[in-house]
Amino acid sequence: MPKAIEIENFTYKYPDGTSALSDITLSIEAGARLVLIGPNGAGKSTLLLAMAGFVKGTGKVLVDGLEINRGNLKKIRSRLGCCLENPDDQLFMPTLFDDVAFGPLNMGLEAEQVKARVAEALQTVGLAELGDKAPHHLSAGQKRAAAIATIISMSPKIITLDEPDGSLDPRNRDNLVKLLKDLPQTLIIATCNMNFAAALADRAVLLDKGRIIAGGDAKEIMSDSKLMAEHGLEVPHKTE
Amino acid sequence: MHMANELLSVPVAAGSAAIAAAGLGFICRKVRQIITAEKLALMGILGAFVFAAQMVNFQLPAMPGTSGHMVGAVLLAIILGPHMGAIVISSVVIIQCLIFQDGGLLALGCNIINIALVPSYLGYFLYRTVTAGPFNSLRAYVGAVLACVIAMQGSAALVPVQAALSGVLAVPFTTFLITMLGVHLLVGLVEGLITVAVLGYLQQVRPDIVVNSLPGKVRLSKKAVLATLVIFTIVIGAGISLLASDKPDGLEWSYAERPDQPDFEGIISNDSPTIAAADKLQARYSLLPDYSLRSSVIGDTAENHVEASAGWTSFAGVVGSAATMVLIWLIARVLRKKERLQA
Amino acid sequence: MHHAHIDKFAYQDSPVHRLDSRVKFIVVLVFTALVISLPRTSVSILACYAVGPFAILVLAGIPLRFVFKHILLVSPFVLILALSCPLYDKTPVSVAFGPFLWNTSVGWMRCFTILGKFTVTMLALIALISTTRFNDLLTGLQRLGLPRLLVIQLGFLYRYIFVLIDRAHRILRARAGRRLRRLKFRAELQIAASMLGSLFIRSIDAAEHINIAMQARGFDGNWRTLSKLQIRRCDLFFLLAAVVFMLGIYFFVKPILL
Ligand SMILES: Nc1ncnc2c1ncn2[C@@H]1O[C@H](COP(=O)(O)OP(=O)(O)OP(=O)(O)O)[C@@H](O)[C@H]1O
Ligand SMILES: [Mg+2]
Repeated sequence: MPKAIEIENFTYKYPDGTSALSDITLSIEAGARLVLIGPNGAGKSTLLLAMAGFVKGTGKVLVDGLEINRGNLKKIRSRLGCCLENPDDQLFMPTLFDDVAFGPLNMGLEAEQVKARVAEALQTVGLAELGDKAPHHLSAGQKRAAAIATIISMSPKIITLDEPDGSLDPRNRDNLVKLLKDLPQTLIIATCNMNFAAALADRAVLLDKGRIIAGGDAKEIMSDSKLMAEHGLEVPHKTE
Repeated sequence: MHMANELLSVPVAAGSAAIAAAGLGFICRKVRQIITAEKLALMGILGAFVFAAQMVNFQLPAMPGTSGHMVGAVLLAIILGPHMGAIVISSVVIIQCLIFQDGGLLALGCNIINIALVPSYLGYFLYRTVTAGPFNSLRAYVGAVLACVIAMQGSAALVPVQAALSGVLAVPFTTFLITMLGVHLLVGLVEGLITVAVLGYLQQVRPDIVVNSLPGKVRLSKKAVLATLVIFTIVIGAGISLLASDKPDGLEWSYAERPDQPDFEGIISNDSPTIAAADKLQARYSLLPDYSLRSSVIGDTAENHVEASAGWTSFAGVVGSAATMVLIWLIARVLRKKERLQA
Repeated sequence: MHHAHIDKFAYQDSPVHRLDSRVKFIVVLVFTALVISLPRTSVSILACYAVGPFAILVLAGIPLRFVFKHILLVSPFVLILALSCPLYDKTPVSVAFGPFLWNTSVGWMRCFTILGKFTVTMLALIALISTTRFNDLLTGLQRLGLPRLLVIQLGFLYRYIFVLIDRAHRILRARAGRRLRRLKFRAELQIAASMLGSLFIRSIDAAEHINIAMQARGFDGNWRTLSKLQIRRCDLFFLLAAVVFMLGIYFFVKPILL
């Protein structure tokens, strides 16, 4: 079974010269629940974009065993679903139904299959009733769930999420954790919220200033208070 | 200024809608080749930007209590090019009509022509003409201000023309035209200044956005603003004094020209061939030809007496309609209450 | 912000809401043309025409206060237009209205006609918009021949108006908090320009993100949607009723002076 993600010596600079990622080497097992942690500006979002082939730097990125190049982007993106930080960017269609159907339709599925996929995805995230709603009529928590549904409906093998816990109240955050835990896919989640990370992840990668500082077992990394403090992060509260 | 349904006759509205539809269809087909997938979202969002920009208002000088805001057509045309700008503003106009009911459904064609197509192309063309050649800050400034002013004038002039073609003007055509042009001279000036200021800001913060349209620095200098204001004051002052001296009876000279026809319909010179043609068209397609034909309008009935029976018919019509509406409302209320009780 | 939720009633449910958007759009368009083509001195007949959209609004459960408030809100231009009529046309005319007899001028009659037509056509348009989800209306318009590109534009525009208006409000609030005294025009202009500029930049950034979200979901330039429009028997019934109503008034209620 191929690794979900393999990155070798990846380096990326934004056009304005900001060095966002330097010499990243990383490999993620299929089925992992991995959190990318790090302070603001560490390069988490950029790394997630690199995994979906949106930023092209030097080095190699393999998704599900497939090296990203211009020819296979469509294939890559049907295997890796990438959910952006702001749900308002993710939900761009006039209704929730159309948004969730957007991916499956682009995959070339038949109308009936698309409808089934949409119904299933909305069911999974608990918005089964709201398909006809306009995204701007949804609450922040519902938008978050809806954004995830737009990815699930394509049934990718890997899902990347950028700060999915942003602007959620504690109850919605718990619901989100439950929802994500039940997903069968490989999950790669960028977050600055250590409690959220701890509740969810089995693996963690600590990123700062565009470099990987540490990677491995989530509990081990996040309980290292010295390491965490060095990079402006906190140790999660022990709840269990 | 949005055209209203009430200023249009059906033939003129239909004709404008046909022109607008043909124009938009042509532009859409034309840009299909140059629009990449990325541009789709960009254009949509910039349409929303135009709405949001109207929230941002600012005090106008010398007129306490008034505030201006940006319209944005010329700005978009300068940055996106006229085709895409025209499509974006057209979609804005359609949303204004449908969702916010600014300008009626029938006037939609006219509004697309007046507010979207004319300013986008006219403004872009003017801006490009003035700024042609090596970049020069003053030229960019003058170009943007001029583009906004003239584009606004063009779109403002179309409203009275369309109304006159429809033959529904009660206000004399010239009065209406001059009022529209005067008001929009001011609007256009403000638009020009704010457009330059926004272009300057963008260039400072994100030069990549305006790289093609503004390949050098442009600044909203105090001198430039002052000079613009002075020039405009002179232009407006000259215009007013010319009007005042040339036409002693003010703006109502079109009245004076036709003393033989006190009938209000005659005020828009009825013998112009275009208007006569429009009239004929109107007569043919109007649903109530004998009433909307200009020659017969009131002409006969306005002789100060109306048959009493007509008075009773209209009375019955109004009272009956009102009663029906009240009845409908009551029934709906009762039904809804019942529904609520059952639920 | 008065128009942040203008079409909130479109998301309710009623027999009117369930009607096909194409049928509703065409009926409203024809109705508007009919009303506008009425003679310019016939006020009373407008009351008869008003019954139609009024019934639809009531049937759909749209609060009338909302409707009239909104009509008032969009009326200023037409109001000015109407009120200028009496100034320009003082041809005296006396009109009989049941037991009453008025001496007035043609200008005033036209003023009332304009206002009446405005109210009636606005009633119809509001009835359309507040009983039709914008998405369905767009799908319908596309079926009626609106270019695909424009439909996509309108979809995005509708989706992001609310997002950007919210953002503009946030920026404005920040300005209100900082502005302590009245500024010179140029400073005022420059502040407005920087607000507009940053709003513009944010819009462009948002567009970039949306573009990423679209590509991430396999978008290749072909816009695909599942449209769910379908003309059913009740649509035909509504169409028939509308035609009967309009023809009925047209033939049986003669326009008269007043
Ligand atoms: N479009 C851009 N152009 C230039 N530089 C950028 C751009 N986007 C991000 N950067 C820079 O790249 C670096 C990494 O940014 P990135 O957004 O990946 O960080 P992040 O870890 O996601 O931070 P946050 O927690 O704030 O989301 C930062 O220094 C940032 O300033
Ligand atoms: Mg980030």
